[in-house]
Amino acid sequence: MSENGALFDDDFLKKLEYLNLVSNYMVPGHLHGEHRAKRTTDSGIEFADYRQYVTGEDTKNVDWRTYLRLDKLILRIFEEDADLPIYIFFDASRSMDHGEPLKFDYARKIAAALCYIGLLNLDRVNLIGYSDGIAREMSARRGKNQVWHAFRFLESVEAAGSTCIERAFTTFFSVRRRRGLVVVVSDFLDETGFEKAFDLLRYFRQDLFAVHVYSSEELEPELPDEVVLEDSELGTTERLKVTPGLLEAYREKFDEHCDELHNYCRKYGWGYLRTSTEVPFEDLILQVFRQGRFLG
Amino acid sequence: MSFLSVSPLVAGVLLAGTAATVAVLYWLKPPPRRIVVPSKLLWDRLLREKRRSTFLDRLRWWISLMIALIIGLSVAAALGRPEFTWAGGEIPRMTIVIDNSATMATATSDGLTRWDHAVAIAKDLMRQGSVDGEFLILDTTGQAPALGPDDRRSALEILDGLGVSMGDPPQFPTALGPDGPLYFISDGVMVDDVPPEAEVISVYDPVDNVGITAFEVTSVPSVPLQYQAFLEVTNASLGPKEISLRVGGAGAGGLRDTMTLQSGEATQRTIELAGFDRGPVRAAVTSEGDAFAVDDVAFSFVPVRSLTRVALVTPGSVYLESVLAEEPHLRVRSLTPAEYDTAAVRADLFIFDRWAPEQPPPGPSLLFFPPNVDWLAPAVAVINSPTVSGWDPEHALMRFVSLEDLRVDRAVQLGSPARRPVEESGGADPDLSHPPDADVHVVVGSAELPLIVASDAPPKVIRAAFALEDSNFALQPAFPIFLSNVLRWTMDEQAALPRRPGRVEVSLPGGEVTDLEGQIVNTAQVSGRTVFAADEPGLYTVAAGSARLRVAVSLLDRERTSVNASGLSPRDRAVASPAALGTVGDPAEEGELWTILLVVAMALVILEWFTYHRRWTV
Repeated sequence: MSENGALFDDDFLKKLEYLNLVSNYMVPGHLHGEHRAKRTTDSGIEFADYRQYVTGEDTKNVDWRTYLRLDKLILRIFEEDADLPIYIFFDASRSMDHGEPLKFDYARKIAAALCYIGLLNLDRVNLIGYSDGIAREMSARRGKNQVWHAFRFLESVEAAGSTCIERAFTTFFSVRRRRGLVVVVSDFLDETGFEKAFDLLRYFRQDLFAVHVYSSEELEPELPDEVVLEDSELGTTERLKVTPGLLEAYREKFDEHCDELHNYCRKYGWGYLRTSTEVPFEDLILQVFRQGRFLG
Repeated sequence: MSFLSVSPLVAGVLLAGTAATVAVLYWLKPPPRRIVVPSKLLWDRLLREKRRSTFLDRLRWWISLMIALIIGLSVAAALGRPEFTWAGGEIPRMTIVIDNSATMATATSDGLTRWDHAVAIAKDLMRQGSVDGEFLILDTTGQAPALGPDDRRSALEILDGLGVSMGDPPQFPTALGPDGPLYFISDGVMVDDVPPEAEVISVYDPVDNVGITAFEVTSVPSVPLQYQAFLEVTNASLGPKEISLRVGGAGAGGLRDTMTLQSGEATQRTIELAGFDRGPVRAAVTSEGDAFAVDDVAFSFVPVRSLTRVALVTPGSVYLESVLAEEPHLRVRSLTPAEYDTAAVRADLFIFDRWAPEQPPPGPSLLFFPPNVDWLAPAVAVINSPTVSGWDPEHALMRFVSLEDLRVDRAVQLGSPARRPVEESGGADPDLSHPPDADVHVVVGSAELPLIVASDAPPKVIRAAFALEDSNFALQPAFPIFLSNVLRWTMDEQAALPRRPGRVEVSLPGGEVTDLEGQIVNTAQVSGRTVFAADEPGLYTVAAGSARLRVAVSLLDRERTSVNASGLSPRDRAVASPAALGTVGDPAEEGELWTILLVVAMALVILEWFTYHRRWTV
């Protein structure tokens, strides 16, 4: 919840309308049921491909002309449009409850915007708040009339607990889920690391779009010469003598952490976007559009 | 290394305290701030790598502590003003008596003075003393404070505070140090009562000197209108000298002469000052290679003019005419009031008897029972048989004047200038609330009934509220003296007081001293006397209200001029170096470490600041 009142106020909604218009311009026709995912079927209209007939299969799609010419049983495969499941995971751990503005508010706004666009795009959208597991989940919704339900859900989630995205993915995908787009909005400050969690997504053949949110205090910490750092999630402390060299090393470590994320995503063709909370969220959404992974 | 300012025990405590304080401050730093961060994940990863340099961090901390300790100890040690023992000798106690009589100002062949050599030798002797020894510095004119033995640095400061005294009679000090060697540094001219245990170090160097040993301005006994100067010039050189003499002063008079005097010969001259006007007179001698300049000039003052013109305006006064006629240096012109013309009559002093002109005269005036005129304070009442309540014996008009038997039959009540005359006030009570004029002094009588008043504002005015015919003043023995005082006071005709250079005291309280150029000289008031320092010969004027004294400062002493009259052999010690003649020497050269310590501390502070700023040490 923002300090000034409702998280999703009129101003926010106006920005969503603007984003909707912009997305319509950037990806023409996406509101006409044209989905990015196709699934092959034997009963569709649009021919897609041939494949070898396997014994026991229905013979209604056997291409008999080919059989007569080649003496081989070949099946005709059709494809049909499939709605895209979008799983929006937003980090609801205590580490997100920092920064100015709060990373958690920022992440929820991003989640709300993507949810809004997805619902308008007739996609099935899941909203999952996670910390060291799944904290809150909004089951799959479809259609514009679910927007307010999604917003209320986002407003009801509070940041608490530590971070373990692997456990959240394990829990979520332990139930059979359709392949879709997994959007993770997080600061990725996870003691257990992100690799195992992302490997899990690869195992389930999910597509991923990672939105890495950080605050300016994380990038350029302003610390006194001597300080005791306390971890907001674990409560552990560390006494430091802060030197320019240490701060420089920290910045390098931060960049290294971001690069690991980016390289992993790029390696598997996934989308990755890093943003500061000082960047207006609508600008960030436009960058998401430009990457072409969420829409089109 | 030893400490001059504090004892070794106190110095040790100071250093230990400083070290402890610095160390405690290092350990008792304020607790660090506690800051909650979203996650320590990245910090932990970073610190796992940084752990390898923990030893280096600790080493930096210890280096920083060491630097802080060195800074603190350097400053603390500098406060103790340590000295290297090698910078001093082994003599634990010594007494140095340095001659600062007038002849020590004599220049030597190397351009310095005997005094400079004496100071340098004294410093050289003190270097032979132990750095933690006791030193007693004494002089022959009592300038050094009688505080007993002191440390070397304090003794050096005392030595630098001494100087040659021209006027004070030198004397070997009696309060000597308890033990240790006794040194006496002198030219052997003016101090001869040296105890046998003193090791005399000579700074005597034969030089040429010609000086004025006597110069006095007096009136000619047979012709009181004339003044003459008695002058004595002495050749104190070791050989004959050709001397140029010049006497000059106010007016057309002046004398130039050349003479040759043999060694030790003195010549006396009587110089007629008839051509000199009233004012300062200066005598000077010059000779080649003169090494003692103070006795080359002498000053005095020609007190009165050769002839004082007096205009006596009276309807007829046998008292005034007869007394004035007895004064030999006066030219009296008697006039009746009808004959008086302010514009035409020229005189140095106007005496008005029972009459006053409508316009003030162009010079000082003495009035007896004048009528009311605009330029005088009005008479507001007539008092019969007033009581002579007293007189001001301190006033210059009343010197040697006694009015015990003065009787006055009739006088007027003098008012302030604002008071209306008795005719205009219609006999009403006079306005007594008006404050009296600050320049007007009641000489005879009281403030309520002044009988004789004197105004300092030029031209000076002396006014008697009674007529000589209405009193027995003219019959008093003091009357001629009073008139003589009037002449002296109005003509400012006092002879100059002879004094020697140095500290000059005159018995005139609250005086302001000016030199011949009119520059004001700093004065002090001591026991009702005005004291000032006259380091150079000259003519000084001391003024306090109506009183004015002139002081002719000249050496005029044959003993002081005889700079070669020494019983010592020529100096056998050369000054170590001109630098030794400075004030307190360079501390580093003197074996002191405090400047080095402060420089080290400053350099370390800069280093610590730089390293801290660069976060090399925290």
